[in-house]
Amino acid sequence: MATIHVKRPELTFAEKLYIPEVVKGLAVTTRQLVKNVFTRKDITTRQYPEEKRPYPDRFRGRHRLMWDDDKNVRCVACMLCSTACPANCIHIVAGDRGDDKVEKYPVSFEIDLLVCIYCGFCEEACPCDAIRMDSGKHPLPSFSRDKQRIRKVQLLEEGDFSIARRGGRGT
Amino acid sequence: MSVGELILFGIIKFIAIVFGWVMLVATVLTLMERKQSAFMQNRVGPNRAFVFGKKFPLSAFIGHLLSDALKVLVKEDFEPPRANKWLHLLGPGIAVIPAWLLWVVIPFGPGPMPGAEGDHPFLIANLNVGVLFMFAVMSLSVYGATLGAWASNSAYSLLGGLRTAAQMISYEVTLGLNLVGVFMIFGSTRLNDIIWGQGQSAWGIFLQPVGFVLFLVASIAETKRAPFDLPEAESELAAGYFTEYSSMRFAVYSLGEFIGIVAVAAVAVCCFLGGWQIPWVETPVDASGVPIYGWLTVAQIAIFLFKMVIFIWLQMQIRWTLPRFRYDQLMKLGWLYLLPLSLLNLVVTAIIMYAVR
Amino acid sequence: MPTLKIDGREITVEPGTTILQAAQQLGIEIPTFCYHPGLTIAANCRMCLVDTNKAPKPLPACHAQVMDGMEVTTQGEKVEKTQKAVLEFILLNHPVDCPICDQAGECVLQDHYFKYSAEPSRLFHRKQHKPKAKVLGPDIILDAERCILCTRCVRFCDEVAKSSQLTVVNRGEKSEITTFPGLELDNPYAANTVDICPVGALTSRDFRFRTRVWMLSSEESVCPECERGCKIRVDSFENTVRRYKPMHNPKVNDWWMCDAGRGSFRQYLDGRMEGPTVVRDGRRVATQVGRALEDAAEALQSAGGMGQVAVVVTPWLTNEDAYLVGRLLKGPLAGARVIMGGRAPGAGDDVLIRPDKNPNKRGVSAILAALGVAVKPLAEMDLAGVRSVVVMGDQNAFSDAQLEALGRVERRVVMGAFMGPLWQAATTFLPTRLHWEKDGTFTNFEGVVQRIRRAVAPAGTCKSEGYYAMKLLQAFGEGGLAFDGPRQIFAALAAEVPDFRGLSYENLGDFGQKLGEPPAPPTPETPPASMEASA
Repeated sequence: MATIHVKRPELTFAEKLYIPEVVKGLAVTTRQLVKNVFTRKDITTRQYPEEKRPYPDRFRGRHRLMWDDDKNVRCVACMLCSTACPANCIHIVAGDRGDDKVEKYPVSFEIDLLVCIYCGFCEEACPCDAIRMDSGKHPLPSFSRDKQRIRKVQLLEEGDFSIARRGGRGT
Repeated sequence: MSVGELILFGIIKFIAIVFGWVMLVATVLTLMERKQSAFMQNRVGPNRAFVFGKKFPLSAFIGHLLSDALKVLVKEDFEPPRANKWLHLLGPGIAVIPAWLLWVVIPFGPGPMPGAEGDHPFLIANLNVGVLFMFAVMSLSVYGATLGAWASNSAYSLLGGLRTAAQMISYEVTLGLNLVGVFMIFGSTRLNDIIWGQGQSAWGIFLQPVGFVLFLVASIAETKRAPFDLPEAESELAAGYFTEYSSMRFAVYSLGEFIGIVAVAAVAVCCFLGGWQIPWVETPVDASGVPIYGWLTVAQIAIFLFKMVIFIWLQMQIRWTLPRFRYDQLMKLGWLYLLPLSLLNLVVTAIIMYAVR
Repeated sequence: MPTLKIDGREITVEPGTTILQAAQQLGIEIPTFCYHPGLTIAANCRMCLVDTNKAPKPLPACHAQVMDGMEVTTQGEKVEKTQKAVLEFILLNHPVDCPICDQAGECVLQDHYFKYSAEPSRLFHRKQHKPKAKVLGPDIILDAERCILCTRCVRFCDEVAKSSQLTVVNRGEKSEITTFPGLELDNPYAANTVDICPVGALTSRDFRFRTRVWMLSSEESVCPECERGCKIRVDSFENTVRRYKPMHNPKVNDWWMCDAGRGSFRQYLDGRMEGPTVVRDGRRVATQVGRALEDAAEALQSAGGMGQVAVVVTPWLTNEDAYLVGRLLKGPLAGARVIMGGRAPGAGDDVLIRPDKNPNKRGVSAILAALGVAVKPLAEMDLAGVRSVVVMGDQNAFSDAQLEALGRVERRVVMGAFMGPLWQAATTFLPTRLHWEKDGTFTNFEGVVQRIRRAVAPAGTCKSEGYYAMKLLQAFGEGGLAFDGPRQIFAALAAEVPDFRGLSYENLGDFGQKLGEPPAPPTPETPPASMEASA
């Protein structure tokens, strides 16, 4: 019928007695105990804050905002990142930059790291290579929620020049 | 000495022994166990809390002990709504006091020979019912767990408490019957007499090998530890009978458990591992049969402690090696295998003793 | 009556119908840029080119009239090739700066490009540059690079706003829209050019860079700024109203609305009162709605006869609220002096703007009259001997003397939404909802009853005036008036008030119903039209 009969291994008499098997198990654990007490060879624990493990190259860490040629914010506040954001953690207030070339720029750019899920959709959506998650840093704990809302200034501090041309091809 | 003085000395001894080092050993055990299990599992274990941040040998060890103690003292003492307040408060107390009382009859150093007159300096009360008193007290500790569990007004606690009661009653029988073989051989229930007897003939483990193994199994079940930790099976019952306990009450429960482990180890050492006897070393006695105390006595106390540590280590090693039983397996093992085996052991012991005589 | 075939489907239409209109009757979509049903036909964008058997070359569907025996193809290789060519031509000098363009998301060019072309650019030299962010008028900014020269805005100014301020200058790829020398695009309907601009060439300075349009949530409603009652769409984001957009309603406003109405939402964004207050021992304290209502009922009862009670009703009530208020005035408050408040009249014109600046004067007056409540105009307000007064609405043009007289009344119950002089004067303050926070209907000066809908969540514990009237009725022991939502209230209103007989939310439809006309058969409510509808 619908039941499946699992074949249980037949136990020998010695196994049925348990005692020899228990002693075998104790031998294994005791061996590890002795080994680790005296040599610490098998210990795999990493002492985290002191020993850090390198992150993989494509690790998505804390966001950063890239610079344009004048070290100003490269972002044009198109809000595609906040549109793509599934967690709704990017809050942008756009303003008029007053130059003919770019016009729009973010007056404020805030990311709520407590809400962010680090999916990387924002950098995928960005048409200007303005937001990136390649800082290699993860958010640190803090005593207030407000500290976890990182602002434009902090985002730009991590920034760099971008090799991509603004506005894409043909302008 | 008058009766009053006897009682006074008894109390002083009790406090000195129980609070002087039994509690200390139990506290250290809480950390030792974590450390031991860590090394067994290729981990490091607790190594973060240093005493005042200074790194000296054992600093992390002592630091963790102190911080754990501080933690249980200052944590919120939670009492579940609609719990029975008094029983909830009494539960840990009832659990820990029997564990203390066990130490009344345990001799951890040499005393007068059997039949000799004299005071036993390393024993609180040299009762002639000795081990029987111990069993009587040990049976009480089941109340602590069960009452606390019932008073918590929680399904997890209640199930844990029921399991505790059933398990402890079941395994107490085996535990007791296996010591009966030892009594038969040495003709006394006084632990002091049994230890002297082992010094004269051979250790209990050689005279009663089956009894020792059965006692070991039953003692682990009696201390409610893996593979017999069904009363507090965390995967099924959160924390079993002390689910609703926190802060110092919780700590008292777990201290009681560890004192129980030490006590069971002490009994095992007394009955099966020759107590304070050092192999091939005679204990010098004077004409009246009272041992001559000297450096050897110190060595004997040390060897007693050493044997206890070995036995505790074995218990912990088993606890971190074997997976948990199913409840029906536990009952089956207790009643269908261990109990008949210990009865058989008794009968065989009796027959052999009759034949040898 | 010519009979023609469009994509193999036969239709007979009036002579003079264009191919586009015939296709619309069949539900066939033909893409357009320059065509707008409210404007003359220019046929300059060429997006609507279709293939016919009557001409060797494709014909512009918006302009070409149908002929008997015509066979029109709106799909197929030839038309698709034409459409792709037209789009490529239009996009030649288009900057494609969609990320910073306010129109992105409601841009006809974007939609058509993705639907009809989606070809990559083949251009390899520099694009023609034109003025960007050029200020045309108080609310309009022009980006000439984005412009596709459909001239919808030029035609709008000439034909609808009747003030020719825009024109096209230069030729070829240097053509651009601009104002006539010395003129600004400042006519009272100028912002409609932003709505009809199919691309982001004309953008509103008020809305510029504020919100991306795809983030907005929209509800159809009615502009309350004058008794015209233009049908609008209230766009909101993060529970804040961001803009009004006119909606098509042939009975009221066609496709347009005035700039004054469009920008009016800003005045309601700040200074809201979110909870009731009462005065206890000379101090104003916040309280709960139930307590404040008890206080109000006690104020009315303590006046000692309804002759010493005055009630100022406002033409900003919805028909539903007015009905409940009318029941209150007819029932327990019968005999009280009732005054019609409201804004003072302003200027009007012969396009849309009306002198009376209240949304529902006709409805409130009709309902109160039908219930037998005598109403005096605000100028004749007489508070002599009045011990308790109820003032509804913030939009009442009290003179200083009248305000002073109000302040002398012993108990002053105010239902308002804002922290203003009336709130200062109130002994009991009940916070009310704004027109975009409630459902209901407004009746415009011609008697067209239109739905207003809740676009954002109400602030704080605000309730409508009708709710307070209902609770006061219950406090006075008038049971049986527990309504569950404005739909039920409107049903009761339609049953009781002769003008509204036969009306229900089901048969108001998209364009509302005119009082006195036989109501249309009930239609299921349609969801709000898509973003393109106003473009």
